[in-house]
Amino acid sequence: MLAEIFYGGIAALLCGSLLPLLFPSGIARKASFLLLGAGCALLLAASAVGFFSGSRTAFSIEGILPPIGFSFVIDRLSAFFIGMISVVALCVTVYSFQYVERHEGRGSKSALVSLMGFFMLSMFMVVASSGMLSFLLFWEIMSLSSFFLVMFEYENKDTRKAGIFYFVMTHLSTVFLLVGFLVLYHATGSLDIGPAALPAMTANLAFLSLLAGFGIKAGVVPFHKWLPYAHPASPSNVSALMSGVMIKVAIYGLVRFLLFVLSPAAWWGVLILAAGTVSALLGVVYALKEHDIKRLLAYHSIENIGIILIGIGLYLVFSANGLPEIAALALAGSLFHTLNHALFKSLLFMAAGSVASATGTKNIEEMGGIIKRMPYTAALFLVGAVSISALPPFNGFVSELMIFQAFLQAGAVAAPLLKLFLVACLAVFALTSALAAACFVKAFGISFLAVPRTEKAANAREVPLAMLIGPGALAALCILLGVFSLQLFGIAGYSAPLPDMAVVGTLMIASFAAAFLAIRSPARRSETWGCGIVSQNPKMEYTASGFSEPIVTIFKPFYRTRKHIERTFFDSQGSIFKEGYGEIELVKFFEEYLYMPVARAAGAVSGYVSGFQNSSLNSCMLYAFLASILIILLTGWRA
Amino acid sequence: MSWEFAVYGAVNVAFVALVSPLFMGVIRKIKALVQGRRGPPLLQGYYNLAKLMKKETVFSSNSSVIMEIAPYISISALFVAALLVPVIMIPEPAYGMGGIILFLYMLALAKFFTALAGLDAGSTFGGMGSSREMTISAIIEPIIVVVFAALAFALNTTNIYAMFAATAGLGVLSANVSLLPLVIALFIILITETSRVPVDNPETHLELTMVHEAMILEQGGRNLALMEVSHAVKQTLLMAFLINIFFPWGISQWPAGGWSHAAAGALAFLAKGVILAAVVGLFESSMAKMRLFRLPTLFMAAFFLSALTIVMQVFA
Repeated sequence: MLAEIFYGGIAALLCGSLLPLLFPSGIARKASFLLLGAGCALLLAASAVGFFSGSRTAFSIEGILPPIGFSFVIDRLSAFFIGMISVVALCVTVYSFQYVERHEGRGSKSALVSLMGFFMLSMFMVVASSGMLSFLLFWEIMSLSSFFLVMFEYENKDTRKAGIFYFVMTHLSTVFLLVGFLVLYHATGSLDIGPAALPAMTANLAFLSLLAGFGIKAGVVPFHKWLPYAHPASPSNVSALMSGVMIKVAIYGLVRFLLFVLSPAAWWGVLILAAGTVSALLGVVYALKEHDIKRLLAYHSIENIGIILIGIGLYLVFSANGLPEIAALALAGSLFHTLNHALFKSLLFMAAGSVASATGTKNIEEMGGIIKRMPYTAALFLVGAVSISALPPFNGFVSELMIFQAFLQAGAVAAPLLKLFLVACLAVFALTSALAAACFVKAFGISFLAVPRTEKAANAREVPLAMLIGPGALAALCILLGVFSLQLFGIAGYSAPLPDMAVVGTLMIASFAAAFLAIRSPARRSETWGCGIVSQNPKMEYTASGFSEPIVTIFKPFYRTRKHIERTFFDSQGSIFKEGYGEIELVKFFEEYLYMPVARAAGAVSGYVSGFQNSSLNSCMLYAFLASILIILLTGWRA
Repeated sequence: MSWEFAVYGAVNVAFVALVSPLFMGVIRKIKALVQGRRGPPLLQGYYNLAKLMKKETVFSSNSSVIMEIAPYISISALFVAALLVPVIMIPEPAYGMGGIILFLYMLALAKFFTALAGLDAGSTFGGMGSSREMTISAIIEPIIVVVFAALAFALNTTNIYAMFAATAGLGVLSANVSLLPLVIALFIILITETSRVPVDNPETHLELTMVHEAMILEQGGRNLALMEVSHAVKQTLLMAFLINIFFPWGISQWPAGGWSHAAAGALAFLAKGVILAAVVGLFESSMAKMRLFRLPTLFMAAFFLSALTIVMQVFA
């Protein structure tokens, strides 16, 4: 039953991806969207069946490619992730229905649709794979299809840079995964993703390479730099998929291997917790300085991946300390946050994409007053902003609440230093969450409220219906998942120690309505008070850089700015100023001190190696001869 | 909804809303007396609200629906928050309510929309106020959470009702002296979150002190009245933490204690609240406004005190 629905969904996705490739036309694209939507809906049904049956369903396709059969397993974990991907992919498909046709750019629209289909397909297949080989194969298809999607507007120089950056990083990720898988295979002799009993050192090696591999894909600091390049470069529907679900596939991999394959050592949790805390803080601190709305959202993805890792780290720490109940709370919070982030981040990317498409700019300093021109899109963005800022009663609040609750029970941990470490992480986590709220006051307030700052923003028009329905469904889910969180956890079979948000939500709506009905009075409209200046103009508005300036000043050490000031004076004492020049430059810390040295070292090594390859036949013969001797010696040595 | 909890909720919220402007008035009076003025009457806060309720509401022509709904969201968030902080009687927890994080994020919700409304009119004052308010609230947040983590470790609960129930009667200090630094940390949080000197100056909205008052500058009439009530309620709730954890004499369990105990609890809270408000007024009078970028130093002091408590707890 489950297998049939799953295959049906996959087949629909495959047809949907191939159709516009074979017949590039507008009608084929429409048909393709229907197929993609149907495929996602079927996979959603499959995930529901898989999740609630509660058992592990294995099935396989043999004989398509004779030596390799694909075998799949759907248990509750993979069903959860398939459900998440299918919901987001379905909404993005609806959104893309009109977004793709509106999209300006020279790239082929049919290729865009087709690649999107392959991208979705590969994500489902990665999550359902039961063997390492097919996991890696589909992982690579996922990386390549997303690389082509990032490169969609390849005429643009920045896009090409972003694409190459992404290409290198995503392949580094594959290399690390390959190492991890080879270590596992070497130790167990099996390519199945299943429990592996390993000696401590081997397990540590496998864990570290898998963590690096999944960490790069998920955008964990310090491997995060590709995210803020790749997300703004790609079309917005693709950003929604990449930021919403692709980086979650990496989280799936991490959770799968930690929970079902490896047996975690005590320090793994501490490492993951530390990585998560650093990612969360740096993600939001960098986001505050960003004025490109899509890059700002990309930095928030780094932050939220950090929060998810904090939850996973807490799970490992608490279970290593014999506190299974708190550990379960942390893990449930982490997985719930994964789902929530998938929902509100794709919602935000789609709403931002609508605004960017209507105004023609991604810079929030050029927006303003959009709430009056695009009221529905503004409402959708606001729901996303409230959810990501973890405000009650929306979904982001509930998952962060669960992680907070797990943290606050750190008193039960016996080791004193570990307890202090947990409190330090808790403080940073609280800071992160408050900074995220500040950042979204900026993002929503500067771009949607007050007076338009430019002509482009003043001329914005509301987007067509499909571009509202897609994100609208996600917004509704953000609210429902928050308000009925307790009941939903009950249905899923976990009695979470949560406040009943349905009661909280009812009380809030009741008191809002009561206050509104009782106190609302007739209102008059008048000019904003401007200290006697008669008419308000956009230049008097507070800017995004002005808004984040106090935070940027306080967190100066994180930004590593360089100031250059040159001044000349009329007199020798330097009191009568003649002329001057000043600039503030942001040091790209990770690029300058981590990425570039590695890249330069790699360049130097390959330069040295290419020196051998001097295209002289004689030396080539010599290398071949030496290599053969070496192989014979080595194999002989073993035998 | 069980009727005991409903009765508790209605009475608690109504009592908090009712006494909040009085505490504001006490602080104002004390500050005036210290400055050698007679000052406005103690009930001036109520007169102001009554007057604002009669005035028409004026919105900026630039502003949107956010400006119109922000005061209602703020007041409803604060009312739910008031349900979570028992001031006259401590109920049995119901519906999983009473979590400390829920309380903090209710305040954050009110602040989020107030800050958005500050940006909505397109005025520089409002924008500056929003920006500074969000900055200050971001850097005070870790301190608040660490303070409550220290309390959670000491009292072994994260539920406000259970915390107050555990400290009722004697106060937490008689059981655990290491929590003493938290009194100062909580006081700094109270000062910061209610926008008082040295963080902000509630009397003015001019250049140097443009934080809370600047943010609500464009609000008028009944909407301004709601913002004022929200602010006063928030102050009372934060005062209630200081009072009920460290000086809890008079508060008792509901419904076991019955109405007479509840009345005694209300009177006791009123008296202690007036004293604490007077202390706040004296503190404000003795301080000068700090430069915005000097504030992290003050917060570091609070953070140090709460971290010290945690360290003492861990190694005790």
